[in-house]
Amino acid sequence: MIIVLLICSEFEFRNSGYRLGFLAIDSLFNANDGKMKIKAMLPATLTSVITSGKIQNLGLIRLLDYTANDIPGKSEEKYLIVTKCEAVAPALDSVIKAEIKASNGIMLKSKQDFVAKSASQIINEQRGNAAPAARMAMTRRVHPLVSLNPYQGSWTIKVRVTNKGVMRTYKNARGEGCVFNVELTDEEGTQIQATMFNSAAKKFYDTFQMGKVYYISRGSLKLANKQFKTVQNDYEMTLNDNSEVEEARNEEAFVPETKFNFVPIDGLGAYVNQKELIDVIGVVQSVSPTMSIRRRNDNEMIPKRDITLADETKKTVVVSLWNDLATGLGQELLDMADKHPVIAIKSLKVGDFQGVSLSTISRSNVVINPDSPEATKLKSWYDSEGKETSMSAIGSGMSSSANNGSRSMYSDRVCLSHITSNPSLGDEKPVFFSTRAYISFIKPDQTMWYRACKTCNKKVTEAMDSGYWCEGCQKKDEECSLRYIMAVKVSDSTGEAWFSAFNDEAEKIVGCTADGLNELKSEEGEVNEFQTKLKEATWSSHLFRVSVSQQEYNSEKRQRVTVKGVSPIDFAAETRLLLQDISKNKTSH
Amino acid sequence: MDTSSPSAFVNGALLGRLAGRKVRTVVQVIGSEIGSVVGKTTDDVQIFVRGSSPAPLTTYVEVIGIAESDNSIRAETWTNFGNTFDPQNFNELCKLANGEFKHLFM
Ligand SMILES: [Zn+2]
Repeated sequence: MIIVLLICSEFEFRNSGYRLGFLAIDSLFNANDGKMKIKAMLPATLTSVITSGKIQNLGLIRLLDYTANDIPGKSEEKYLIVTKCEAVAPALDSVIKAEIKASNGIMLKSKQDFVAKSASQIINEQRGNAAPAARMAMTRRVHPLVSLNPYQGSWTIKVRVTNKGVMRTYKNARGEGCVFNVELTDEEGTQIQATMFNSAAKKFYDTFQMGKVYYISRGSLKLANKQFKTVQNDYEMTLNDNSEVEEARNEEAFVPETKFNFVPIDGLGAYVNQKELIDVIGVVQSVSPTMSIRRRNDNEMIPKRDITLADETKKTVVVSLWNDLATGLGQELLDMADKHPVIAIKSLKVGDFQGVSLSTISRSNVVINPDSPEATKLKSWYDSEGKETSMSAIGSGMSSSANNGSRSMYSDRVCLSHITSNPSLGDEKPVFFSTRAYISFIKPDQTMWYRACKTCNKKVTEAMDSGYWCEGCQKKDEECSLRYIMAVKVSDSTGEAWFSAFNDEAEKIVGCTADGLNELKSEEGEVNEFQTKLKEATWSSHLFRVSVSQQEYNSEKRQRVTVKGVSPIDFAAETRLLLQDISKNKTSH
Repeated sequence: MDTSSPSAFVNGALLGRLAGRKVRTVVQVIGSEIGSVVGKTTDDVQIFVRGSSPAPLTTYVEVIGIAESDNSIRAETWTNFGNTFDPQNFNELCKLANGEFKHLFM
């Protein structure tokens, strides 16, 4: 390991300055070791050390891992990309001069035994590296994937192909072509997607074999398209005809570590029906037998098995295992289900079946009882309290029947002004949204219920003698029940809107049945319980699922917003959504 | 709301920067010693919260008090935050409240 002592001076924070190109590299500082200066950058993953104040202007840091790069267009100048560093001492009073460097070095050396290299040494070494390719191959310095960025000169990576796509053809304005991509994983578990077009695609299609290890150089990097990205990396790679891809033989020992980025089960809602794949870790609660499901596009029967996972959020989620994972690993899980193993799964799709559910895809990776701190923690939580705890399914409360258009309370979230400022919304067919809002007013003197048939819920009329006649059932009943149909005013920070609510949703809003509310209304007394009940229902917030449609009213079209679902607020999940919005706003400005 | 003596939202990393100041944090209680509670901050730093804590404490506790060092707070107010609390959310709040959005906080 090479360690360098550097003093950062003229430290700048470039969060918003590099809007497009520097998303992942947003701190730029000058590093100085007393002899000479070199520019250096920290990747976004290290910004927390800055925001936390650990690295300050004129602070002393120790670089644990870095690469030296050319500044495009300036062959003499280099800059460092720091991938690992730690703060050694807080800010000094002034920039260190060469003559006092010695004492400084001693001070640090006494703390820990390490080899220090000066910035000038690094630069000289890097110059030496720009030697013929043959020497490169012998002494090639392999860059960790995490250090790659678009502004870097030459690099070599050593990666295993962890997913290989099929060759696809495309047709666009510029003509026809073919494309394919591979997913590459390095020893540290960092992944990147590499894409090849046309001649490069043909050249490398047979070279890249699933599971084999390669040295790759001379690719180019660009920001990953978030919409299509399947791996955790801000960048994606393009390989062209000039790129070098060379198989590394006898590399069975090169096993990429599977890097997980776990989402807690109660946080899955935010990913419903998104393209982004997620990783999950949980205790196996139950394992179903295998089922055969007919695939819609080709009618082929494929095996499926459902497992239920739980975690410390006290929520459970169903994961559908498909194909070989259902039959092979699924059987293994079934056999050990009573021992409640911990499993970690990489790359799952989050769907809206049963509100929120997970599904494996071809590249999903399942690890049973992983040897990791998260797994140990989860297991000990489960053994000590989890197994006694009552858990609820993450999808419950997010009704998912097709007719109310419900996907999940977390997808297609809008604020009220989005609905009210767009009067033609729902013109062709009803559109559905989720919105979080407060009930701000329930008019007490509105007609808020109707008399309904106890069998079919349809409106009944008073029969001539006694009882009620249902046109739908064609029969008379002595009794009827009241069902809500009410208008409620809702508010959020962007405005107000009127929602129509039917019985089940209105019951959740008001907090009692229509019959119950009617009883309160007919009670006479000092305190009007009816009014109190309605007041209690106001200024409480809910998560609403609504449909927006257009209705003719006096030959004029009017927007109608109907409540299709009401859920209580999950504050932790809402906070996560807000944090996501904040970080989205940060990157788009 | 009392604005005369504002308390800054902190996690473990921010605590040391605010020594002597009034701070507010949420810790996961992991143990106790005489006169102090050992807690884990939302960014996994072990800290000591000094002062007399009410009993019983829930898993998560909010403490408001004076930052003594990078790993200790002399608490004035203790509030049980229950057993389900999202530490990541609070940690992000601390970062935002002391970073980019500092101007929005007292
Ligand atoms: Zn009927």
